[in-house]
Amino acid sequence: MDVSREDGLAQALASGISVEFGQLTLRAENEGTVLVAGPGAAADTVSPTPAALRERVRYDERGRYRPLSGAKSMPGGWCVHIAEAALPDALDALYPLALEHLAAGARAELRVVGLEEVLERQAGRYSVAASLDADGRRVASEVLCRQCVRVPVWRGEQIDAAEHGGVASIPCPEPCSVLVSLCREAALWQQSPPARSEPDPTVAFAAFETPGNEMREAYLAAR
Amino acid sequence: MTSANASNGRGLLLVGHGSHLNGDSSAPVYEHAERLRAGGDWAEVRTGFWKEEPQLSRALDGCHVSDVTVVPVFISAGYFTNEVIPREMRLTGKLSCIDGKTVRYTGPVGAHQSLARVIVQRAMEAGGQPGDALAVLGHGTPRNPDSERNIYQQSGFVRDLGTFSEVTTIFLDQEPNMRGIFDVVEAETIVVVPLFIADGWHVGETIPEDLALDGVETRRGGRRLRYARAVGTHPAVADVISELAYEAGAWT
Repeated sequence: MDVSREDGLAQALASGISVEFGQLTLRAENEGTVLVAGPGAAADTVSPTPAALRERVRYDERGRYRPLSGAKSMPGGWCVHIAEAALPDALDALYPLALEHLAAGARAELRVVGLEEVLERQAGRYSVAASLDADGRRVASEVLCRQCVRVPVWRGEQIDAAEHGGVASIPCPEPCSVLVSLCREAALWQQSPPARSEPDPTVAFAAFETPGNEMREAYLAAR
Repeated sequence: MTSANASNGRGLLLVGHGSHLNGDSSAPVYEHAERLRAGGDWAEVRTGFWKEEPQLSRALDGCHVSDVTVVPVFISAGYFTNEVIPREMRLTGKLSCIDGKTVRYTGPVGAHQSLARVIVQRAMEAGGQPGDALAVLGHGTPRNPDSERNIYQQSGFVRDLGTFSEVTTIFLDQEPNMRGIFDVVEAETIVVVPLFIADGWHVGETIPEDLALDGVETRRGGRRLRYARAVGTHPAVADVISELAYEAGAWT
């Protein structure tokens, strides 16, 4: 594989061990291929193209759209045999920018941007997000980020650069647009607290305006 | 044509809106990126989104070439192309230097004259004939006067091509509203071409409902209305993206 993008991962694979990469398991095979498997036992083999892989994980097992690639809801039961040279593009389709951010983190060159800066620069319908108080920001990020395999280094969490003993933790260097969206709703709830509802796992992952949305209900319960 | 010869090793970054709620809305951006990648003219073709990943603010992290052209896969020049994209991507103008890369920022797909040919193609695919009227249907919004500019401009380009005897402009969310389409043209048959990026909620649901369409062809009082697919999903939009990017290559 292209070691310039993530040296430690390449070395781990070359040594023959399985590597956990988010919810994926990676293992080098014979003849220059890598087996990439989703969660659980693999029942079907996916075409080794980025488009096919992206499509395979776009919806969770309930059929809900996954706008957050790192959400721990990746559908399972599949695997793919990827040529080593094609592995970076395949991983990029499953976890966009994960390899770049791993590599930049390992070089201590990862540009990290915090939530305050991200919320302050919002405009239009998202400008209200900056009015969310400190506790609301903390709760919003805890509620959302615990659903995600990426490690929020923007929140100060650390990744052990030498942990390639079978686990490759993916750093998250900047709050995502889903968190910005949750902060926007939370800022509106701060002004006018809504009634709580039972969490409904059929409500879309990021439909924060809809009663029963799991993130919404978890946030309201924690506040 | 090799990538080195065609683009001097430049990369392309297509940026779209994306969605937190609709998994299909970004499909045209991925498809155009795939076409451009397969064409082999660019050293690298990547994507970035306002509401999907890679997010706009980090999309350049994935570009491995030193000269990247960012093309907004949007119809209108307005809030997103003038404010959101430059702010999130740290662009300082048409030409920026970011993390050691030269970044060229073009206008949106909807601003380029060559898109008019795609509008005409969509109309022909829907069965349009030279004697028919072609109605370019834009979103529009009374909240932002900039959003209509490219729609009217594209109508003008289509008119200049001379393929259709009558060309008009209608909108979903402002005047002249699409509901009055039979009153604003004279031709017996009207081909409505939605100038939208995706065959999504508006093109697939709200417009057919609001116009009470019967499908590809609707008959009303002896007249006919043909409804085309969204312009933005046409494969030839990849050529429009290329043209925008090649033009940006001349900037110094």
